[in-house]
Amino acid sequence: MLWLCIRLPALVHEANAASERAALERLAAWAYQWTSWVSYRLSAEAPQDLGLPPAPLLWLELGAGRSLFGEPTALLAQIAAALTHLGYSHTCALAPSPTAAALLTRVSEQRCTLTRAQLRARLTPLPLSLLELPAATVTALRAAGLRCIGELLALPAAALARRFGPEICLYLARLTAQVSDPRPAWRLPPVYRARCEFGQDLHETGMLLFSLQRLLLEFQGYLRARDCAVQRFTLELEHPRRPVTTLTIGLCAPTRAAAQFLLLARERLHELALPAPVRALALTAGEFTAAAIGQIDGFSNQTQQLDELGQLLDRLRARLGENAVRGIGWQADHRPERAWAQTDFAPEPHPPRAPAAAATASLAAAYNDAACSDAPARPCALLASPQPLAAPPQLLTGPERIESGWWDGTDARRDYYIARTADNARLWIFRDRREGRWYLHGLWV
Amino acid sequence: MAAVRPSVLAHAATLERLAQLCRRTEDGGRQGAIVTGYRELDALLPRGGWPLGSIVELLSAATGVGELSLLLPALCHLAQTGRTIVWIAPPYVPYAPALALRGLPLERVLIIHTRSTQESLWAAEQALRCPAVGAALGWPAQIVDKNLRRLQLAAEAGGSLGILHRPAEAAAEASPAALRLQLQGLADGLRLHILKARGGRGGLQWHWRRSDVVAVHSFAGAGA
Repeated sequence: MLWLCIRLPALVHEANAASERAALERLAAWAYQWTSWVSYRLSAEAPQDLGLPPAPLLWLELGAGRSLFGEPTALLAQIAAALTHLGYSHTCALAPSPTAAALLTRVSEQRCTLTRAQLRARLTPLPLSLLELPAATVTALRAAGLRCIGELLALPAAALARRFGPEICLYLARLTAQVSDPRPAWRLPPVYRARCEFGQDLHETGMLLFSLQRLLLEFQGYLRARDCAVQRFTLELEHPRRPVTTLTIGLCAPTRAAAQFLLLARERLHELALPAPVRALALTAGEFTAAAIGQIDGFSNQTQQLDELGQLLDRLRARLGENAVRGIGWQADHRPERAWAQTDFAPEPHPPRAPAAAATASLAAAYNDAACSDAPARPCALLASPQPLAAPPQLLTGPERIESGWWDGTDARRDYYIARTADNARLWIFRDRREGRWYLHGLWV
Repeated sequence: MAAVRPSVLAHAATLERLAQLCRRTEDGGRQGAIVTGYRELDALLPRGGWPLGSIVELLSAATGVGELSLLLPALCHLAQTGRTIVWIAPPYVPYAPALALRGLPLERVLIIHTRSTQESLWAAEQALRCPAVGAALGWPAQIVDKNLRRLQLAAEAGGSLGILHRPAEAAAEASPAALRLQLQGLADGLRLHILKARGGRGGLQWHWRRSDVVAVHSFAGAGA
């Protein structure tokens, strides 16, 4: 076993024990992407009379994933860089036992030991004050003439146990990885909820972005750890003495890329007018789906196109609103305004490509349909509602009679004509047979 | 003389080739074109079709002179190869039955509703930048040079076709668009005047007789 211990002194400044625990659990969930054994200790749980400022600790077992992640020292560098990116000041140490790793986070250099022998050699010159033993014990050891940990380790265990009690022997055995040193394994929660409290009230959405980015990066770590993705998550902005503002962010396809989350969340925040200052920010996600496995198709860029289109739709919806992005469809009705409908646009994979010649021929055939087939001609542009015309312009063809809809209360009895204006624009107009008035209904664009 | 002629021809060919290369580097090189569906029009355009990865301006005094019909064969082709056609705040309802009859797959038609010019420009830029988008159609009431440049860059990045419908008066303004066409409705069709064609010659005209289907038939023959 090989334990990475991360000391996070900055978290102590979090307002209280509850928020320190929340921050630690967020990081624990984030760290789960590299290991299946994460444990933590709050600063309040550290031995009291240690004479050192207590700090929360996070342990990750790295030995088991060695074949997956490569050399632990390289992984350590990667994790440290990710932590710096998240904006946490930290000290990391690597040792065969969690107790030793915790001790090594308090020394200034050479904090990585991979084997028991290396650990013993590293501990030997260190001062007794680093040991997590009661202050009285350390004073007594000093009085006995001991100065460094190496001298203490050289003493016979039985004599030490008689003088100071059996606890010190157990502690030293755990420190040197001679006996097992169990740590409670923290488990991933089934529902993700991360909350981050600000020390002060924030008045602008722009000021939320740093914390938001951190929350989303930690969320990405959690999703990686569970090997899943989300299609929807919720951001809650908490205000003093006001109900929370909730933003639900939906995506076209399940994803776990923090950069994409941030892009969408930023658009939504940009649009948002804050009703009150923000005191805390929370992120919740409850529905997880299997992550789409990115397969590389050597012959087409179809999957990539779908992804890109999905991301475009997400961006458009985030900024313009859910209903701003629509598709169109065909409906069976004789009334022109009811022969079409808005639809929900969903990216669809492209069917296998037809031979080029056939495609072009069918294209040309379809294109000729309007002119050659028996289907009545319809313009590509329809007005949202028919516009009254004072007098009809020059009529070219017609009439085409449409009588329909007496059963649903929007009875239409019209004669349609194609007409031409003075500047040669072609119009699709009709005469209402009940009123006798002319209306403009479409344009031959 | 008989001995000289082949070398003169070879020189001419080399010069032509060099000129082509120069044009291509000027255009950014990588982007191709999509045939318009009208052989005579293709012959007038520098790259033999609508230039992908750039902005095309259609300037017209009136709506309804056939500005969309001119584009439809190319739009159909783009949509049938799986790329999406994006309509940004169209001034009319793109009429699904007519578009489907003309061969445009409706599942590739995306309509974006916006509340302001600012939003329309932003949406156009996002759409053009996306490689899954084949063409984006916009109707900007007013657009300044800076925004046109942004759209041009977005189209270059996405390899898509940006179509801007603008009023006829815009012809007097300079524009970074790759292709600017003035459209004028005629009794029997449409007169198309090339105001500017990057990498080619401006000032050419084409008279499209909408009622005859010769151009469309020849398009079918060319594709086969």
